[in-house]
Amino acid sequence: MKCRDHMLSRRNLLTIGAVGGIGLTLTDFFRLKTAQADQKNYETKEGTAKSVIYIFLPGGMAQQESFDPKPFAPLEYRGPMRSIATKLTGVRINEMFKQTANIADKLTIVRSMTHGEAAHERGVHNMHTGYRPSPALTFPSMGSVVSHEFGPRNNLPPYVLIPNQTNPYQGTGYLSSSFAGFSIGADPAAGGFKVRDLELPAGVDTARFDKRRKLLDVVNGHFREKEKSDSLDSLDTFYNRAYSLISSQKAREAFDIEKEDPKLRDRYGRNTAGARMLLARRLVESGVRFVTMTYGGWDHHDSIDRNMKRQVPAFDQAYATLISDLESRGLLDSTLVVVASEFGRTPKINQTSGRDHWPKVFSSLMAGGGIKKGQVYGKSNATASEPEEDALGVQDWATTIYKCLGITADKELMAPGARPIEIVDGGKVREGLLA
Amino acid sequence: MNHYYQISIRTLAALCVASTISLSFQGTGFAEDDKKTTANTPSGVEPVAQPLIPVVKNATPVKLEVFPSDILLSNLRDRQSIVAQMVYSNGITVDVTDLVKSQIGSGAIVKQEGSTFHPVADGETTVKFSIENFNIELPVKVANAASNPPLSFTNDVMPVFSKSGCNAGSCHGAARGKDGFRLSLYGFDPKGDYHRLTREMLGRRVDLAVPQDCLLINKAVGAVPHSGGELFKPGTEYYNTLLNWLEAGASFDEGKVQKVVGIELYPKNAVLNGPDSKQRLTVRAKYEDGSDRDVTSLAYFSTNNDNSALVSQDGWVTAKNRGEAFVMCRFDTHTVGTDVIVLPKDVEFTWKDIPENNYIDQRINEKLRNLRIQPSELCSDVEFIRRASLDICGIVPTPERVNQFVADAAPDKRAKYIDEMLARKEFVEMWVMKWSELLQIRSTRQVSYKATLLYYDWLKSKIANNVPVNQMVRELLGSQGGTFTVPATNYYQNEQDNLKVAENVAQVFLGMRIQCAQCHNHPFDRWTMDDYYGFVAFFSQVARKASEDPREQIVFNRGSGETKNPVTGQNMKPKFLGGIEPETKSKDRRAVVADWIASADNPYFAKNLSNIVWAHFLGKGIVDEVDDVRVSNPAVNPQLLDELGTKFKEYDYDFKKLVRDICNSRTYQLSTKTNVTNESDLTNFSHASLRRIRAEVLLDVISQITETKNKFRGLPLGSRAVQIADGNTTDYFLTTFGRAKRESVCSCEVIMDPSLSQALHLLNGSTVNTKIKQGKLIERLVAEKKTHDQILDEIYQRCFSRLPTEKERTAIQQEISTQENKTQALEDILWALLNSREFVFNH
Repeated sequence: MKCRDHMLSRRNLLTIGAVGGIGLTLTDFFRLKTAQADQKNYETKEGTAKSVIYIFLPGGMAQQESFDPKPFAPLEYRGPMRSIATKLTGVRINEMFKQTANIADKLTIVRSMTHGEAAHERGVHNMHTGYRPSPALTFPSMGSVVSHEFGPRNNLPPYVLIPNQTNPYQGTGYLSSSFAGFSIGADPAAGGFKVRDLELPAGVDTARFDKRRKLLDVVNGHFREKEKSDSLDSLDTFYNRAYSLISSQKAREAFDIEKEDPKLRDRYGRNTAGARMLLARRLVESGVRFVTMTYGGWDHHDSIDRNMKRQVPAFDQAYATLISDLESRGLLDSTLVVVASEFGRTPKINQTSGRDHWPKVFSSLMAGGGIKKGQVYGKSNATASEPEEDALGVQDWATTIYKCLGITADKELMAPGARPIEIVDGGKVREGLLA
Repeated sequence: MNHYYQISIRTLAALCVASTISLSFQGTGFAEDDKKTTANTPSGVEPVAQPLIPVVKNATPVKLEVFPSDILLSNLRDRQSIVAQMVYSNGITVDVTDLVKSQIGSGAIVKQEGSTFHPVADGETTVKFSIENFNIELPVKVANAASNPPLSFTNDVMPVFSKSGCNAGSCHGAARGKDGFRLSLYGFDPKGDYHRLTREMLGRRVDLAVPQDCLLINKAVGAVPHSGGELFKPGTEYYNTLLNWLEAGASFDEGKVQKVVGIELYPKNAVLNGPDSKQRLTVRAKYEDGSDRDVTSLAYFSTNNDNSALVSQDGWVTAKNRGEAFVMCRFDTHTVGTDVIVLPKDVEFTWKDIPENNYIDQRINEKLRNLRIQPSELCSDVEFIRRASLDICGIVPTPERVNQFVADAAPDKRAKYIDEMLARKEFVEMWVMKWSELLQIRSTRQVSYKATLLYYDWLKSKIANNVPVNQMVRELLGSQGGTFTVPATNYYQNEQDNLKVAENVAQVFLGMRIQCAQCHNHPFDRWTMDDYYGFVAFFSQVARKASEDPREQIVFNRGSGETKNPVTGQNMKPKFLGGIEPETKSKDRRAVVADWIASADNPYFAKNLSNIVWAHFLGKGIVDEVDDVRVSNPAVNPQLLDELGTKFKEYDYDFKKLVRDICNSRTYQLSTKTNVTNESDLTNFSHASLRRIRAEVLLDVISQITETKNKFRGLPLGSRAVQIADGNTTDYFLTTFGRAKRESVCSCEVIMDPSLSQALHLLNGSTVNTKIKQGKLIERLVAEKKTHDQILDEIYQRCFSRLPTEKERTAIQQEISTQENKTQALEDILWALLNSREFVFNH
């Protein structure tokens, strides 16, 4: 059969050719469909970044009041805050990021992030999936893709959320729910923080637990033979993960922040930002591949000055400590730390002394895991309203993160209906970001 | 909030491809064997060879259809393309547009070019289409054949922007425009677009002196750098429209602009035989003056499943993999769709007749036959009793009841059991819980705990007394008074933003998400900003004030207050969604809208509530998600949904009767075991699906089985989780297993996905371990001197309703025999049962 339709892609050609040509039965057709060999495939193997800590600042942090101040712009653009010099010659950042300024020589400051989504949930979607939202398909988060590509390491879940999954885009999208992140379930800064249910209950020792497992296998056998469904497989996956977590003391201790040196805990700060970043470090150090943590609320439509002064110091202290701590442990080169927000904020200060949503240009930080040390990447224009150099779209940003991880973002994963979808559609690796 | 206006990158790419290769689609509409007969046929000239109806394996042609059903031409430029479709005995359809022979009654009135008809002179005639012995005659009417009316900005120029994607959200339709030029998203503001095009940057965008060299034209054809690239070439229809309009003076429409009142997409459905089959589409717009127009070239086409059917921007559907797709077209503010079923080529299928218990099975099976799917067998008695008990009452049947049921030889025992369940108080509690989610019953800063409990009790009394749902909704929406004395007023208390109130009402009672239309016309549904603010106007006069008790508020009708459309600045008259502008003078507007929502004439209400009930029992709505009814998210079985809605009304909105119908259907009672034809079906209810038991019910049945009690805030010890009144109640088990927090009305609040936390909690957590110890079930059974075998039977039946298989019995007995502490061993078996897949799923 000859194909006349120019819009058909090569994968359709193969399917059509196979079915139409040989006249297969229906069952064969479906079998073939699931085994399509023409999915774009690339080998995934660990790259420069063995793990990622993704620090997400929900609400949309202002670029002007963080890493892209405009000290020479007119007041209504410049805003009420000052800027300070950093370790990088000629590079200034907001006055509240004092400790971050001191480690700027270890970071790449991106000042040209850009996308077109001014609504929170759409921006959040972009910054977790590398895709614009689509009415037809939900995309998996980067954490779930990593979970899909690598699976667990050292008995630990590959993808962990601190403290919880805060939005649906941190989920598995079209991938099976077995690639979902593990939510810590509590704020590590809270007194007596403990991740629940990691330890065997009182009265159950390992021997008894093993017997219980054996019984559970017997009981599950019948149903497993009879039924098949995606949620059933996911449940199996999670039970297996749970077994390996429960049976490994080392893995369980990764979640125990009390095991950390009190002095270091003080350095991180005994607050939300500090405890979350410290726990994130413990986790990646022990083998978790992708940690997503959130901190604060940055939707500063009002009083941007007051709000930044309230939230930044804890972040600044924790973040600078995290970078130095990773470095002193020799982990920085293998751990990619990303700080981002769903978008930036309007060039001009508004009537309530805040700034509104602005996705056209905003800033983010990248460090470690194969990212260049000590540079500013990209540039916004004089009023921080448009990117001027090296505009960094979400696709390229995500593709570069995947590149560091050792994942080729052009690889296609299978969505329901035997539909191969690129991990990121059409993104390019930005060599300028890489060391 | 969901926005549906975004066009994916893929779609845009497809658009570009389609527009550049549009010529290659001509004459490729059917299987290649047929191509020879027409490929070299000059347009409009009858083919020499006698056309033959394409052969479809194992089927005979039964009917020829030609769309649209008449041809009306009302000016010199007017035209009408037709689509001819052959329907076969097995339901397959084949596009035969290029194969039918046409015979024009009077060539002096109308002429034909390809499959399109153009006016010649005023008058009436007919065109007869025939193929072999099938004939159809269409009436033709031509008026004002000589008149060439001026091009309209709204009706001619703006559609070019929409078709070319200029006013899409990713281009100039973005809130702040693109590259300095803004158009209203999908053209919701013609005046504003005209102004920006002709008055901003004077003389640059349009140039009346040298129209072919202004920015509008140069950007569109890519003659100057344009982020959107080349959209069309000089000489195309789109180009000519813009140029002619400019040459005529680029004026805005004078006088009344004829509004589009609806669009028609033909054919109405298609069943395509194998990948690569094609079907062309034709789109006709109807205007308010009764005229119509062929807008196939101006409509924007899309598909909701490009894995099964692709659609090109010139209106050709191409079949791909087996499945169903809804192919849509948008023109003006209207979107309509057509169902396309794609089957593997010449698939062999023989339908085996099965009993049909009621109308539900009839509708379901009609659809399945078309899809060549044979439904599964009936589930076993044991499976049925567990399934129905969990779904209707959120309980598991006792071993005694299971044995009694299985032993019962009565042919109507399932129907009787359903009635038994429906009579229990747990049935009421289940639905009070479901409604509490829809009405967001939870304590907040605005709603005190006391008010929450009163609100919950109000709802419970309505459901317990079987108050018809429409009456309950009337009472709710029209309520006024103190939040203590008239608890229904809490509806206006936990959501105080009138825009949100209107959105919630639409989402919960009509199943529609109208949020998009707050800022722009909904691109993939029919809702415009006028519709949105017209609906909001019903809630613009709700007011609240403090009461003597600081925990109480008073909700009342202020009798004044209007809603403005922010684009036009006009006060909006209250208007029903898709309905009329009712008289509201000196009336409580909320009562007026409540009457409309709850009336038998409302096209959405009964269907929407039936769908919510359906989704509870089948795990998935007929429209899915249940609160996302829109043109571009069609019902998988509209006939069934219609009939459920009609029945619901006939039953005077007593949903207990509806539940009875659903549970008695064979469809509900199907086995989860699939066959070759239905193993990949996930949408058409051809087999039962595994559904994880929802959080509240799971905790309740664990407690029921272990004979333990729970304590929740504000409820007596031993209450069930289903009975929790306040959505703000926290409980680790319930949160982990995805209980709705009732923070929004979205059906997505209830989460059914498994997680690592759930596994850890069932394995190590307090719920299962502690309850086994607390309930002392095993200890009691041992004390009663039951044998291990008997105990095993008992706990198996408690958890699964079934007895252990011989294989399980042997393996478990062996395990018990190796252990010293027999009670502990038996407890561990119970632990394993409660951790098992078979337990956490309803199947």
